[in-house]
Amino acid sequence: MTGRAGEDRGVAAIRKITILVVEDETLVRMLGTDMLETAGFIVREAGDADEAIAILSAEDDIALLFSDIDMPGSMDGVGLAKLVHIRWPAIRLLLTSGRQSLSPEQLPEAGQFMRKPWTESALIGNVNSLLAA
Amino acid sequence: MSEDKPALIAEAAAVDYEDLFETAPCGYLSTDGNGRILRANRTFSDWTGFGGDLLAGRHFADLLPIAGKIFYETHFAPMLHVQSAFNEVALDIVTADGRHLPVLVNAAVRRDGDGSIASIRITLFKSTSRRAYERGLIAQRDTAEANILVEREDGELREQFIAVLGHDLRNPLAAIASGVRLLDSEVLSERSRKILTLIDGSVVRAAGLIDNVLDFARGRLGGGITLQREAREPLEPVLRQVVAELRAIAPDRTVDSIYNLAEPIDCDRVRIGQLVSNLLGNALTHGARNEPVRLNAQTHGCVLTISIANGGPPISEAARARLFQPFYRGDGGVREQGLGLGLHIASEIARAHGGTLEVRSDAAETVFTFTMTLMQEV
Repeated sequence: MTGRAGEDRGVAAIRKITILVVEDETLVRMLGTDMLETAGFIVREAGDADEAIAILSAEDDIALLFSDIDMPGSMDGVGLAKLVHIRWPAIRLLLTSGRQSLSPEQLPEAGQFMRKPWTESALIGNVNSLLAA
Repeated sequence: MSEDKPALIAEAAAVDYEDLFETAPCGYLSTDGNGRILRANRTFSDWTGFGGDLLAGRHFADLLPIAGKIFYETHFAPMLHVQSAFNEVALDIVTADGRHLPVLVNAAVRRDGDGSIASIRITLFKSTSRRAYERGLIAQRDTAEANILVEREDGELREQFIAVLGHDLRNPLAAIASGVRLLDSEVLSERSRKILTLIDGSVVRAAGLIDNVLDFARGRLGGGITLQREAREPLEPVLRQVVAELRAIAPDRTVDSIYNLAEPIDCDRVRIGQLVSNLLGNALTHGARNEPVRLNAQTHGCVLTISIANGGPPISEAARARLFQPFYRGDGGVREQGLGLGLHIASEIARAHGGTLEVRSDAAETVFTFTMTLMQEV
């Protein structure tokens, strides 16, 4: 249904870039993970902000946070991104939602917003441009 | 005799004046400059149950309930001193047996040669029914205000409900669509792939229904259809995507499409996509199954037309008149035809663009045509 963004695979694999995917809808998270892994990234998965913070505290090689905004739990995606930006300022931020559109000033500095449903090319394109910045 | 006559007339007149004062259909009070009652007429005595001598010497304010006393001291008396008159004041008089008698009061001051207040004339009119009427009006106003408040709260609740419903319905659909994409990249049997395509079509159909219901609900709540015009990106890929999605809904049907568009086109591409999706869905549902559905999108000068045609029996005159009304579901027959919102929303989207959506139907074909005038490039 969608073309694979295979041309990005090699670069990410060589650099062993790790991305943390936070999404409460399991199938949506699996699809995002599948697209990122196909593009050559290493992916960690979390179902909510608390799980995400636990992973971030335990691992120090995460380069980018890709998080849904509308999530149950102690914190939504915007709150998580703000916290991550303060505690781990080097981590790039990519937020997504099908419910609300975020303007740049609502995002933490250096964060990016992508509207759901995202296509594979939009996801990989955004991730690469954030990592290149 | 001739000298007695004027005296008699004068006497009769005096009696009549006296009677007018005593039995006039309003209460009279005379007080001194400090509000102490000098004289009350019989009408007032009768109304209040105080005999004339029971009133004389009492203070006018003593006849008022607490709130009235305060009003008298803070407004009534000072105004009389300043303006010499005070009219149409609504007060309650406490009667001898403790009832409250609603009255409307006029008062005027008479001054001495040196300007100090010699006496105060007070006229009182019974206003029981007028007061009841006023209280009724106030009660009605309060009820109306309360109702408006309740309606506003209901409206806000509805809006929240719709937002949550939309999100909650789209979430599981997004999950199913993700599952379909994941399985799509696996090695699958012919049959599995066919099932997957059908699931995908159902997801597209459900998503379209949710969009239409949410738009309709928002429209009813006064939000209307809002446009996000965007001429920077081309329209054609959006239309192609919609056609591809609709092909998934009816894989056994043919959809022919012709595009002849001079981009850029200043429109809300997502909305025009929704309009086309609704028209295509309608054509696939109601059109003859053995004939193709034909989409033709073209710009001609500064006019954009998108027409969707299907074969099959024509739409009756009567049905055509009601086609774009919400919840209209055709002449019966096919059971599975959704909520009847698709054409209504499509026509609303056309209207929001300042365009039209028209239908032509005869034995040969049924054609829905969307027409809009494009902004001239400056």
